[in-house]
Amino acid sequence: MTKMRSDRLKIVFMLCLAFITIGGQHFESKVAQLLRDETEDIKCFVEVKDLTCFWEEEEERNNLHDQYTFTYSYENKNKMACVVSSLSLLASNKTVFYCKLPKTPFFTPLDVQVFRDGRMLYSRSLNAENFLFLDSPRNLTVMSSEKEGQLNVSWLPPLLKYIDDSMIYEVRYAVEGSNMGKVEVIKVSTMLSLLGLQPDTRYKVWVRVKPDGVAYKGYWSAWTEPVLGVTQPSDMDPLIMLLVLFIGLILCLLSMTVIMSHHKFLLKKLWPDIPTPEHKFPGLFTIYKGDFKEWMSQNNGSMWGRSVHVYTEELPSPLEVLSEVSLTSHGTSQREERQAVEEDEEKESERSDSGLTDRWREPPEAYCLVEQLRALQENPESLSQSLLLQSHDTYVTLNQNSQGDDERQVDDVFEETLPLQMLFTTAGTTSLNTSHSDLSSLQQSLGSGRLSSQSSFEYPNHTWPPKGPGYAYVAVTDSGLGRHRMYTNDYKNEIFLHKWPLSGQHTQSRSESCMGPVW
Amino acid sequence: MSFFHLRLFALLLMVLEWTRPGLSSPLRPICDLRVLDHFIKEAWDAEAAMRACKDACSIATNFTAPLTRVDFDVWEAMNIEEQAQEVQSGLHVLNETISSLQASNQTDVLQSHIDASISNIASIRQVLRSLSIPEYVPPASGGEDKEMQNVSSISELFQVHINFLRGKVRLLLANAPVCHQGVS
Repeated sequence: MTKMRSDRLKIVFMLCLAFITIGGQHFESKVAQLLRDETEDIKCFVEVKDLTCFWEEEEERNNLHDQYTFTYSYENKNKMACVVSSLSLLASNKTVFYCKLPKTPFFTPLDVQVFRDGRMLYSRSLNAENFLFLDSPRNLTVMSSEKEGQLNVSWLPPLLKYIDDSMIYEVRYAVEGSNMGKVEVIKVSTMLSLLGLQPDTRYKVWVRVKPDGVAYKGYWSAWTEPVLGVTQPSDMDPLIMLLVLFIGLILCLLSMTVIMSHHKFLLKKLWPDIPTPEHKFPGLFTIYKGDFKEWMSQNNGSMWGRSVHVYTEELPSPLEVLSEVSLTSHGTSQREERQAVEEDEEKESERSDSGLTDRWREPPEAYCLVEQLRALQENPESLSQSLLLQSHDTYVTLNQNSQGDDERQVDDVFEETLPLQMLFTTAGTTSLNTSHSDLSSLQQSLGSGRLSSQSSFEYPNHTWPPKGPGYAYVAVTDSGLGRHRMYTNDYKNEIFLHKWPLSGQHTQSRSESCMGPVW
Repeated sequence: MSFFHLRLFALLLMVLEWTRPGLSSPLRPICDLRVLDHFIKEAWDAEAAMRACKDACSIATNFTAPLTRVDFDVWEAMNIEEQAQEVQSGLHVLNETISSLQASNQTDVLQSHIDASISNIASIRQVLRSLSIPEYVPPASGGEDKEMQNVSSISELFQVHINFLRGKVRLLLANAPVCHQGVS
C-alpha cells in the first residue's frame, strides 16, 4: 500500500517536473525572443493570466538579485512589491531578472518600477491586456488534398479560455529545402487550405498566433515546429487518357482513308507535273538529244504538214510581230516586225516557223520600219523596185497612203495611242481610203481575231493591191530595245494581206523616232 | 361585411402585429461578439483622436468614470447579476460623463467621436437587453455606489471608455448565459 502510494507520488512529481520544465522552456524561449525583439529596457509580457516583467543584468554584476526591487501600482493605489528572480539563458549566455505579478489586474494602467540600491532603474506604464504573449498553436497537421496543388492545414489554438475567439493566425509554407516561403493570414478559424501549390512536391508548414488587436493585443507567438506535407502528383484520369487515345486513333484512320482514296488528286496538287513539250516533238529529246536542226532535218515533210495541221486547227490568231524589217535594194529579204496580240501564240509559232529561219536572212541590224516606210513613201518609185517579192518574206502590212497627204496621215499614225502602227498609203484606190473609222474597225478586226493565219508559203495566193505602189500594210517597229523576232505566220486580215519586199533603202535611224509599242 | 373589408382588416392586423406599437418585443439575442468588437474599434479611434489633442482637449473640471480593472479570478467568481450590475452602472456613468462633453466647444472631429461614443453605448445597452442582462438599477438611497474614479482629461476619459468596453462589457457578453444555452 505504501509502495503504491510512493509510486503514485513519484509519478505526480515527475509529471509536475516535466510540466514545469516544458513551461520553463516556453518561458525561456519567450524571454529570449523578447530580448531580441523588444526595445524597451523593461520588457513585459502576459503568459496565460500573469504579467511577467524582466530586464537584463547589467554588466559587472555578480548575479545578486537581492539588490533589485520591483514595485507596481494601479488605480492610484499603493505600490506593491514583487519578488525578483533570475534566469540564465543558455542559448545567449545572458542573465535576466524577472518578476511575475500575482493576480495581474487587466484593463487598467499598471505602473512598474525597478529599483536598485534605492535608485530607480526602469519605469514603465502599461496595460496588461496589450502584451499577451501566447503559446504556439498545437497539433499542427498537414494533409494532402484530393485536388491537385492543394494542402489542408489544421491546428488547435493555444489554451487560453477568454481569448480563443479573438485570435489571428499566420501560416507560412515553403517548398522543402527552399527559403522562399509564402504567408497566409487567417482570423479565428483554425484550418486553412493552401492553394496553387506545385504538384508532387514536399512542403513545410509553420503556424503562429497573435491576439487580433481589438479586445486584446500582444506579440506574435513562436513558430510551431515545421510539419511536412506532400501535394498530389498531377495525373490524368486513365479513363480519359484511353478515351483521348481512342479518338485520336479513329481520327488518324479516317484521315488516312481520305488521303489514300484521293492520293492521286492530292499528288497532282502538291507535286504537279512539269509540262514538257515532248509529246509534240516525238523523238526530239530522246533520240536527237534536243538538237532541233537534226530533228527537223529528219522529220521535215511530215512535221510540216503536221504543224500546219496544228495551226489550222487552232483559232485564228491575231497579228504577230515580225522581228525586223530591213529595206535592201537588192531585195534581200528582211523581216518585218509584227505586233502580237496574243502572246501565247508566240512560242508555238516561233517553234513552227523556226524551221524557216534558215530561209530567212537575218538582217544585220534592226531597222525602224516606220522610217523605212516613210522613205518608201517619199520615194514611191522605189516601190516598184521593191515589188520583187522574196518568197520567204512574210509580213502583214496595211498601208494606206494617199498621195496628197502623206505626211499628215503618217503623222496621225504615229500616235502612241495606237496599238499598232499603221502606215496607210492609198495609191488612189478608193477601197483603200480608210478613214479613221476604218482604222478603228481595223483595230477591232485585229483584236477580234478574225484574222486567219496562213503559212508564209502561200504567197502566190496573196491578194495584191490593184496598183503597184498602193498597198496597205501594218507595220510595227520595235523601239530598238531588242529584236523581237518571233513569228512567221501570215495573217489574212479583212483588208489586205501582203508580202511586201521592201526596197533596199536601209534606214539607219532607229528607235527613237519610231513610235508604237511592239506589242 | 364585405370581403373587401375583411381583407383590409386582416391586412391591418398583420401590420400591427409586425410593428407592435407601444410594446417592446423581445429582441433576438445578439451573441456574436463581432458586434461589440465593432464598437470597440470605434472606441479605439476616439481614444487615439483624443490622445492626440492633449492640450486642446483639457478641461477644468474632473469627470467621474467607472473602474475598468478586471481580476480574472475575482470576476469569474462573481455571478451574472453582479457582473451585470457592474457593467450597467459603468455604462450609465460613462454615458452621463461623455454626454456632458457635448455641451462644451470641441472641434468637429472630436464632436463626431463624442456623438459616436454616446450612440455606441446606447447600442451596447440594446445588445445587453437582447441577452436578457438585467438593466441598470440606480442604487437605493443610502446604498453604496459602485466605486468610481476621477479623470482629469478628455483623453483619460476615453481611455477609461475603451478599457471598460474591452474588459468588463466584453467579458459579460462573452459569458452571457443566453448564448451558452445547450452548450456544456
